[in-house]
Amino acid sequence: MDFNFTQDQLLFRDSARDFLRGEITPERVRALWESGHDESLWGQLTELGLVGITVPEEHGGLGMSEVDFVLLAEECGYVALPAPLVHTALVAAPALVDIGGELAASWLPRIAGGEARVAVGTGPAQPLLVEDADRAQLILLERAGALHALDPADLTLRRNDSMDGSRRLFTVEGADEGADEGAAVADAPAIAAALNRGGLGCAAQALGLAQRMLDLAVAYTAERKQFGKPVGSFQAVKHHMANVAVKLEYARAPVYRASWSLAKDHPDAARHVSHAKLAACEAAALAAKNCIQAHGAMGYTWEVDLHLYMKKAWALAGAWGDTGFHKQRISNALFEDDAPLGAGATF
Amino acid sequence: MELKFSPEDEHFRKEIADWLAEHLVGEFAAIRFRGGPGDEHMYPEERKAWEQELAAGGWTCIGWPEAFGGRGASIEQQVIFHEEYARAGGPGRMGHIGETLTGPTLIAFGSDEQRERFLPGIRAGTRFWCQGYSEPSAGSDLANVKTKAVFDEASQRWLISGQKVWTSLAHESDHCFVIARTDPDSVGHRGLGFFLLDMDQPGITVRPIEQMTGTSEFNEVFFDEAHCGAGDIVGAPGDGWKVAMGLLGFERGVSTLGQQMLFQNELDDIIREAKRNGAAKDPVIRQRIADAHVGLKIMRYNSMRTLSGNADDGSLQPEAMIYKLYWSTWHRNLGKLAMDVLGPEAEICAAPPYELSRLQSLFLFSRADTIYGGTNQVQRNIIAERALNMPREPRG
Repeated sequence: MDFNFTQDQLLFRDSARDFLRGEITPERVRALWESGHDESLWGQLTELGLVGITVPEEHGGLGMSEVDFVLLAEECGYVALPAPLVHTALVAAPALVDIGGELAASWLPRIAGGEARVAVGTGPAQPLLVEDADRAQLILLERAGALHALDPADLTLRRNDSMDGSRRLFTVEGADEGADEGAAVADAPAIAAALNRGGLGCAAQALGLAQRMLDLAVAYTAERKQFGKPVGSFQAVKHHMANVAVKLEYARAPVYRASWSLAKDHPDAARHVSHAKLAACEAAALAAKNCIQAHGAMGYTWEVDLHLYMKKAWALAGAWGDTGFHKQRISNALFEDDAPLGAGATF
Repeated sequence: MELKFSPEDEHFRKEIADWLAEHLVGEFAAIRFRGGPGDEHMYPEERKAWEQELAAGGWTCIGWPEAFGGRGASIEQQVIFHEEYARAGGPGRMGHIGETLTGPTLIAFGSDEQRERFLPGIRAGTRFWCQGYSEPSAGSDLANVKTKAVFDEASQRWLISGQKVWTSLAHESDHCFVIARTDPDSVGHRGLGFFLLDMDQPGITVRPIEQMTGTSEFNEVFFDEAHCGAGDIVGAPGDGWKVAMGLLGFERGVSTLGQQMLFQNELDDIIREAKRNGAAKDPVIRQRIADAHVGLKIMRYNSMRTLSGNADDGSLQPEAMIYKLYWSTWHRNLGKLAMDVLGPEAEICAAPPYELSRLQSLFLFSRADTIYGGTNQVQRNIIAERALNMPREPRG
């Protein structure tokens, strides 16, 4: 039993953190909200090997697992990375690995090389929204219980503007059910796996977002003075921040636990993902609520950076299974007739 | 990261499970699932006998080093022990304070003579301990201890005078560890000593406090020149705060795992009740039960994460403060959930004069969780100032 990351995993996280915090400043995030594109960013991520991080080595990637990537996803959250790195590394590349064969052999090397992008569209939400579908050269889309490999050129993509200006979401039309049976490349297990990996990606990013909001609010309340004192010295403000710190710190272990379960194909991995997503998104939701309060009226402005992170946290809470979906998944398991009650069997 | 038990650990699991199945029967069958929080006053004699049964099997103090009578059990084995103990319905441990607080404190800070004198009784399940910390004017402000310790040159003994309060199971204990002021001119955490006292002496009076459950597991303890030997102080006069804080560090350790297993049993009771009375069909109840389940998993994973880190550091870590706040809030909510699952039955006493069902006791007793051992408000102050480095508030 060992809950620790290896020295290598931590070093890799540190170097990615240095890059992300240095490059993905709030100013750059804002610029991308306005321009809608940042072509140099994907190139930078590719150069660092991040785009192909979970692509197997024989296909030109780094062959890393969910456990290796989870800390990086957290860092992507911290900077509100306006690029689909988490989607690519945690959902698209592993889905292709699951599918295997020709499709994997032709697309995985191009992902790792930064030459092509792949988007995956599945999940319980309706209408189904696909992240960065317009930049993808291949879309793996759920239709009638199977994943279909589709060429975006054959589809009609319609942009849905997100409240989080860095999320680019598309409805996909033109791939009618059963229209092209030959395009079906994977069924239920791959769909379930994609949903769980997507959920883990949201959870890990939510940790980073909550940390960022907390850092901003703690810094702000140390500076901002009222009644002749920093407002952060008042207990009412401190308790708001402490509540966030507790929820955030305690949400980490379930997220790391879920990453391990996915990497090891644990039979209860789906439930572990639900634990992780609920815990982390709840921490991020509380961070948003308490940190805007701690900022006072300034927190409500466009000028203060807080909203860049709050909006992503709110958006991710509903992606890849919302709170109701994940709670129901857990309660259904708990109330099954043969659900194991009693202590033990924790891991 | 490797989140599973080894084959050796699974072998250990079978060993303790088999032992419990064989021994927690006969005269001990009546105390299965009894004596937990809110029920600690029940069956004290039977539970003391059970401690000796455990000791005879080598199942007390398993985490202590072998040199002091323990098994030197690994963290994994201690986890497994707690899981299997709770699964079997092992009764609330009368020896808990001695095993998890006094013992580790003496192993870390005590003299050889103190270890030789006190550890064997704890290990054998024959000597029981209580904790003399809080006082009427030293609650959240724990360092404001007024109880005095004076060294009497004539008798070569320490004489302790003052009052402790909220002392769990003082009436069932053989010994008490007490923090008392050795320097009468000192204030705050300076000038304190950490003493080991026999409870059976004329200078000590124990008065039970009747709680809103109608039961009494807490007590007031009065010291009127109660005495202990010159060698019964842990560390030097003035070291009391350091020792007491070190002890709080032990409190956060593996004992959290046993607690979580009790929580698991309580949650399972609630799920069974919800299935029985149909509350399980209520979507709001289902969501709240899912929340409770997730909260418990979060605690489990965090305990495992903390324990697989640098567990040998006895200082008061942020995790310890976080844990108290987290579990107490979770457990208080669980008590409310139990009542809501019971519905109208929740109000009706199990029997006259004021007998409560387990879930009713859980509800009432868990109102205290966010208060004892450091209120949630004090914990939040500490987290904000020490973990988040927020600006300090001036203190008087």
